[in-house]
Amino acid sequence: MTSLRFLVVDDEERFRGNLVKLLTAKGMQAEGAADAEQAFAALRREARDVILLDVRMPGMDGVAALPGLKALAPEADVIVLTGHASVDDAAELLARGASEYLVKPCTVDEILDTVAVVRDRRGAGRL
Amino acid sequence: MPDGGGLLGPSGPLAARSPVWPLLLGLAALAAATAGPWPGLILALAAGFVLWWASRRSAGALRRAREESCELSEQLIQSQKMAALGELAAGIAHEINNPLGIITQEAELLGLALEPVEAAQRDGSPLAAAFLAELRDGIGEIMRQVNRCSDITHKMLNFARKVAPVCQPSDVNRLVEDMVALVEREATKQDTRIVRMYGELPRVTTDPPLLRQVVLNLLNNAMQALERGGMIFVTTRAAEDGQIAIEVRDTGPGIPAAHLDKIFNPFFTTKAPGMGTGLGLAISQRIVVGLGGTLTAQSLPDAGAAFVIRLPATCGGEGERRHGAADQGTGH
Ligand SMILES: Nc1ncnc2c1ncn2[C@@H]1O[C@H](COP(=O)(O)OP(=O)(O)O)[C@@H](O)[C@H]1O
Ligand SMILES: [Mg+2]
Repeated sequence: MTSLRFLVVDDEERFRGNLVKLLTAKGMQAEGAADAEQAFAALRREARDVILLDVRMPGMDGVAALPGLKALAPEADVIVLTGHASVDDAAELLARGASEYLVKPCTVDEILDTVAVVRDRRGAGRL
Repeated sequence: MPDGGGLLGPSGPLAARSPVWPLLLGLAALAAATAGPWPGLILALAAGFVLWWASRRSAGALRRAREESCELSEQLIQSQKMAALGELAAGIAHEINNPLGIITQEAELLGLALEPVEAAQRDGSPLAAAFLAELRDGIGEIMRQVNRCSDITHKMLNFARKVAPVCQPSDVNRLVEDMVALVEREATKQDTRIVRMYGELPRVTTDPPLLRQVVLNLLNNAMQALERGGMIFVTTRAAEDGQIAIEVRDTGPGIPAAHLDKIFNPFFTTKAPGMGTGLGLAISQRIVVGLGGTLTAQSLPDAGAAFVIRLPATCGGEGERRHGAADQGTGH
């Protein structure tokens, strides 16, 4: 997979920072956002290919932020990373525009595999 | 945690079984509210008398209904308690999955940090080789232990998931046989004999995958109780009112009386760490109640344990409706 632009939206600093490092080590471009507002600002500044989104965050949570993120970046795939997913949550997330979701803990390779599957499914051009 | 009674709401199983009560009460209230003060009072008194008379007449029926529904309502309360516990379990699983996510990342980052040292090893440094072997082993172990934890948290999340049955006409003997055949290889390995005693069954509508899961749980428990040798009797039979019963009986050590009322509790296990989660019977009972049936255990000293699944002719019924209503109440 060629270098994609990632936005990592997670309130937990260590998780966010680690994921940015790991994605960078895999040859991706990645930036972190600590909450929904920061994510909106980052998307206004620059386009992204993939948004990795946490569900539980202080302020606006991931589910509530999803439509706003999709409005600012309709081309981006949103992959939800959550510690908790029931079938209902998953249906709700997909209905709101998420491409896929993963239950933590997951490795960076699992994330990249999921990104590849999602982009194949959409027939998204490889950059 | 809310208690079972609270979750069941004001209309307990008894009230639901005698629809005459709310009707009469409603009539009395309506009479008092709509008519003038005197006719209203007379009407209310008359309704009160009818109520008293009806209550005398139905007292016997109610007692019978109470006895009949006692087992069912207990299981309903139990299954509501478990829905509440499920919410709790899901919350805990969530809190644990987040730190597990970070531990995974740290192990991955350590692995990446080792890459230059690996280059030194390839250049022939023996020190680098020993150091690397040690670190790689440690990182591998961290990942294995994380996987062990996430196995548990994912099972907990699975437990919290709502089980909405999808019912269809089913051949229960066939469903049972599928699971017996599945465990038979394992059974032969441990010298355990499975004896099939399938009866003629009426066709019932039920949820095949859910019922298979329950039968498999019971068979696995029987096999684990026996450890080696022994016998498992799997019986199916038609019961009263078009119901059916499936029994899994083993010749193992049985269940101590003190454990009998605990074994359906989530996380109750007598097995060694890593061997049992204590969720098998809790999930099974929730499923069976959701199908409108009951799951009960019997154990006689030195005569093994027996578990009986009873299912109605049609899936759902009281159990399922109440279950569904409570699920909506708890949300996610
Ligand atoms: N067939 C059986 N014979 C004896 N004890 C049993 C049997 N089935 C279940 N039990 C008891 O019930 C407990 C709970 O069972 P279960 O909910 O399936 O969880 P687990 O199998 O993970 O312990 C077991 O640990 C065991 O003590
Ligand atoms: Mg078990």
